[in-house]
Amino acid sequence: MRRMTRPSHHFPTIQPDNASRREFLRRTGALSVAASATPWALSLAAMGEAAAATASDYKALVCVFLNGGNDYANTLVAYDPSSYNSYTNLRSNIALPRDSLAATLLTPGAALPNGRQYALAPSLAPLLPIFNAGAMSVALNVGTLVQPTTKAQYTARSVPLPPKLFSHNDQQSYWQASAPEGAASGWGGRMGDLLASGNGNATFTCVSVSGNAVFLSGNTSSQYQVFASGPVPVAGVKSALFGSSACSAALSGLMIDSRSQLLEASYASITRRALNANDQLTNALNGATLGTVFPANGLAEQLKLVARMIARSGELGAKRQVFFVSMGGFDNHEGLGGAGGTHAGLLAQVASAMAAFYQATKDLGVSRQVTTFTASDFGRTLTSNSSGSDHGWGGMHFVMGDAVKGRSFVGTAPTLASDGPDDAGQGRLVPSISVDQYGATLANWFGVSASDQLTVMPNLKNYSARNLDFMA
Amino acid sequence: MSQLEGFDLDVEAGAAAPSEGEWGALTTVAAGAAATLTACGGGGGGGGGGVPLVGLSTTTTTAPAATGPTAGIPVPGSPIVAGADTTIYTAPANDRDAARFLSQASPGASKTQITAMRGTTYSAWMDAQFALPRSQGHCDWMTAKGYATAGNKGQYKGLDNTLWRKFISSPDLLRQRMTLALSEIFVVSIDGLSLWWPQFSVGNFVDILEANAFGNYRELLQAVTRSTAMGTFLTFAGNQPGDPKSGSLPDENYAREVMQLFTIGLYKLNNDGTLVLVNGQPVESYTQADVSGLARVFTGWSGDPSNGEEAAITFQIPMIVSAPNYESGEKKFLGTTIPAGPQTAADAFKALNMALDTLFNHPNTPPFVGRQLIQRLVTSNPSPAYVNRVANAFINNGKGVRGDLKAVLRQILLDDEARNPFIATTIAYGKLREPVMRFLNWARGFNANSPSGNWDIGNLGDAATGLAQSPMHSPSVFNFFRPGYVPATTELGKYSLNGPEFQITNESSVSGYVNFMQRAVSGQGVSDLRADYGPLLAIAADSGALLDEINLVLAAGEVSAATLATLKSALDTISATSDAGKLNRVYAGLVLVLASPEYIVQK
Repeated sequence: MRRMTRPSHHFPTIQPDNASRREFLRRTGALSVAASATPWALSLAAMGEAAAATASDYKALVCVFLNGGNDYANTLVAYDPSSYNSYTNLRSNIALPRDSLAATLLTPGAALPNGRQYALAPSLAPLLPIFNAGAMSVALNVGTLVQPTTKAQYTARSVPLPPKLFSHNDQQSYWQASAPEGAASGWGGRMGDLLASGNGNATFTCVSVSGNAVFLSGNTSSQYQVFASGPVPVAGVKSALFGSSACSAALSGLMIDSRSQLLEASYASITRRALNANDQLTNALNGATLGTVFPANGLAEQLKLVARMIARSGELGAKRQVFFVSMGGFDNHEGLGGAGGTHAGLLAQVASAMAAFYQATKDLGVSRQVTTFTASDFGRTLTSNSSGSDHGWGGMHFVMGDAVKGRSFVGTAPTLASDGPDDAGQGRLVPSISVDQYGATLANWFGVSASDQLTVMPNLKNYSARNLDFMA
Repeated sequence: MSQLEGFDLDVEAGAAAPSEGEWGALTTVAAGAAATLTACGGGGGGGGGGVPLVGLSTTTTTAPAATGPTAGIPVPGSPIVAGADTTIYTAPANDRDAARFLSQASPGASKTQITAMRGTTYSAWMDAQFALPRSQGHCDWMTAKGYATAGNKGQYKGLDNTLWRKFISSPDLLRQRMTLALSEIFVVSIDGLSLWWPQFSVGNFVDILEANAFGNYRELLQAVTRSTAMGTFLTFAGNQPGDPKSGSLPDENYAREVMQLFTIGLYKLNNDGTLVLVNGQPVESYTQADVSGLARVFTGWSGDPSNGEEAAITFQIPMIVSAPNYESGEKKFLGTTIPAGPQTAADAFKALNMALDTLFNHPNTPPFVGRQLIQRLVTSNPSPAYVNRVANAFINNGKGVRGDLKAVLRQILLDDEARNPFIATTIAYGKLREPVMRFLNWARGFNANSPSGNWDIGNLGDAATGLAQSPMHSPSVFNFFRPGYVPATTELGKYSLNGPEFQITNESSVSGYVNFMQRAVSGQGVSDLRADYGPLLAIAADSGALLDEINLVLAAGEVSAATLATLKSALDTISATSDAGKLNRVYAGLVLVLASPEYIVQK
C-alpha cells in the first residue's frame, strides 16, 4: 500500500563520534575537505558502515574494458627484428614504424625467451614509467577459453570452445562472465557475492561507472551504477514537486514501494536503490576533491570518480570493491591507422587516464590496495583489411598497481606468422592464457579462497596452473 | 572513424526465456491479486555457465522450479486463462481497450484518437493506417528547412529536428511506431558517422525504414544494405577484395552483423523461436568461414558519385558498384555457392541478390525477426505459440507471399496474446516502455507541438539529464538494448526472463528520466515543445477526474485505484482556485503517472 506521507530524507542526520571522525580524517588525508560541516552530516546507516570498515584492510579491483575489441598487434608491438618483420609484412598498411618504437621498448626484469621483445605503442608512453617502476605487468595472449587449447585442437574442434568466438556481444559477455549472451552473473559480481558480507553496506560493493555490465552482476548482489558526474538526485523528491511536498512524498513512494507484477517489481527495485543510495553517496563525495590532475577524457573522468569513491570507502562502508569503467571505439575495421590513426588516439586516452589513476592511488596512499586491469571483447586479426583489422581472439592486457609483480611479462609471446602455431586464421591468436586464469589470479589477491575461485571462474577447474603469479 | 563509439558494455544476456514447459510453472496473478514469489527461490539468477541462450526462447534455462502456491497460475499463452475465455477480441469494448491497443500500435495517442477507435475494429483501424499517405520525408523536410546549405555540411544538424517532428506529430501512427521499432533492429547511429552529409545519410535511412514499414522484408533488407548510412556504419562502403601481396582480406563487419542481427541470428531456431537442440546443445547457424565467404559479396559497394562526391543528394541515393573493387571470385556461405563471375557491377548485383535471398529464405529469419517485433510492440516474453503464429505470417501472408510486414503486423497486434485482457493480467506480461516511448506518449497524448516549427529538441541520449536513449543515436549496432537481455538480480532475472529495455535502466537513468519529464511537462528544458493542456486544465479542479484522464491517455488505465487514491490525496494539497494552481496540478499529475511503475510497464 502507498503511504500517504513520506519524509524526503529517509534517515536522520547526526554527527559521527570522534573515533569515526578521526578515521575519516585519516582516510581523506589527500583530500581537500570543504570547511562546511556538511560532509560529516552522515546517516545512521553510514555510521555503522564506517565502523565496520575501520578495522580491516581495503582492496579494490578496477576493470578497464575497451569496447569493440582492442587491436593487440598495434598495442603491444613486436620489436625484435624477426617478429617485427612478420608483423609489418602481414599488416603493411597499418603497421607502426619500427624506429618509432625504440622509446617505448619494454625492458622487463626477466627477458623473454628466444630474443623476443615488445614495445608499447608510442601513444601508450605514459604507462612506460609505471612499468619501469615495477607497478605494471603485461599479460601476453589472454583470451576466452574453456580449457587449455592448442591450434590443432581448435582446428579440429576437438575441445570445447567458447561459443560464438569473434562476435562482439558474446565475447564481451564471455570475457566478463565466462558465458555468452544469457549470462546471469559475471566474475566481478561473483566476487562481490562472496565479499559483500564483509562490507558494512553491500550497495557499493560492485560499482559501474559505465552502463550496466554483466561483469558486475552477482547471483545475489546487484551492481550500483553511477556516472562520472556523480549520483543523479531526483529533483522532485529532493524538493517540493511543483510546490507540493505531498506530491514529492507521493513521487518518492512510487519509486520506493514494492510491486508484484514482475516487470514493475524489477523496475521498482532499481528506483528504490537509486533513491536509497543517492544521499549516502552524494554526502560521501561532497566537498572532496582529489589533488591528482586527471586528463580531460571520458575514461579519465570515470576513473576519477572511482578514485574519489575509494578515497571515501570508509564512509561508504566498503572493504572490498570491484569497479567497472569502459571506453568505446576500438572496433577499428577501418581507419585503424598507424602512428596518427584512430587506434593510436584511443590508446593515448587509455594511457593518460590509467597513469593519472595510478598517481591518484599513490596520492591517496592506496596504491598497494588497488589493482587495475584491462579487458576487451577480443583481440583482432593481425592480417589487415583495406585500412583496419577484423574480429580476433587472444589479446594483450595490462595489470597495474603496487601489488603487481611489475616490470614483467606474463605468459608466452605468441608466434606472429601466417598459419603459425598460434594463428587461428588471419592472425587471430589462439589464447595461451585464459580469462579464467587471469581473473583467478586477481581474485586470489582480492581474498577469494582457492575453492571459491572455482565458483568465480567456472572454467578454472580445467587448469592446473590456477595462479599466474603476477600478484604479490 | 569507429562506428562503435561509446559501445557500451552490455550484459548481453541472451534470451534465457523459459521453455514452454516452464511457462506453465511460472507464477502469475489474476487481476488485483497479490503474488507470492518467495517460494520461487530468492537467490535467482542461476550460475554463469550453461549453454548459450541468445535472442530467443530456449528449453534450457536455469529458472528455478516453481512449487507450492506459485504453481498452476497462468502466464502468457498458457491455456489456463486463455482457454477458459473463448472470446475473440476484435474491437475495443471501452476506452481502456482502445487506449491499450494504441499503446502497442502507436507512439502515443490523444484522447480524441482513443475515442475515435471506439467506433471501429482493430483490423479496420490497421487497414486505415496502412492506407494513410506518408507525411513529408525526413530528407525533404531537412532540405526545405535549409539544412542542405553549405553551413551544415559535415554536421549532424537537422536530423534530431526532423526525427522528433515525425515521431511526435506525423498522423500515420502505426507507420511511425513500426519505423521506430525497425530502427532498433536495423541499427545505424549518426554518432561517429564521418561523412560529408551525415544527417542526410541517416535521414535517408529512416526514410527507407518508413517507406518499407508496411512493405516486404526482402526489399527492406536490400534497401538497408545499399544505404550509405549502413555502408558507412558497418564499414563495407569502399570494401575491397583480398590482396595477396599485402595479405589483406575483405572487411567482415557487415557480413557478420547482417546474419547475427538482421536476419538469422546465432543459433538454429524452431519456427516458434525456441532453439534447435542437438544432444542438448544449440547449433550455431553460421561459422567464421560463412562470415569470410559472405564478406566477399560485400565488396565494391560505395557511394554513387554521379551528382558529385560532396553533394547532399549523394548520401540519399543507393550505393553502387565500383567494379575494380568487387571480389568476383567464388563465394561460399551457408551452403550457397555464388560462382565466380566477371568483375562487373552486374555480377556484384547478382551476388548481392543471391546473398540476401539466402538470408531472407533461411528458416531462422521468420521467428528471429518476428519475436523481436513482438518484443518491440507488445511483450518482452512472448509464448512460443505466439512467436510461431507471427513467424507463420512472415512465411506466408495468406497469398503465398513471404516477408509481408503488413501480415506480420496484423498477426502481432491482433493475436489473442496481444488482445486478450486476461492474458495481460498475468504476472510476467508486457514490456518496459522504453524512455523514448514514454516521452512520445506524453507528447502525443497531449498534442505537443513545436512553437518555432523547427522541433529544436535535440539529442536526448544522456542518461543523467535526458532519456538514456535518442532515436538514431544508438551506441552501437547492438541497439540501446538487446532482445535477449535478462536483468540479473531483479525479479525478472529470477526467472531468467527477458527485459530488453532494462539494459538502459539503472540508478542514473531512472532518476534522470523523472527529472527530464518533470522539466518537459512543465515546458522547461525542452523549450521548443509545448503541450496543449486545455482539456486537462478544464477538469483540474476535480483531481480524481484529472488523474483518470491522464491514466487513460498515458497508461491505458493501468494505474491502479490504490495508487490513484494516493496520488489524488497528494494533488489535493495543491489549490486549484487559481490558474497557476490548476497548472501545477496538471504538471504534478503528469509527472506522478509518468513515474509510476504501473504506467512504465506496458501491459
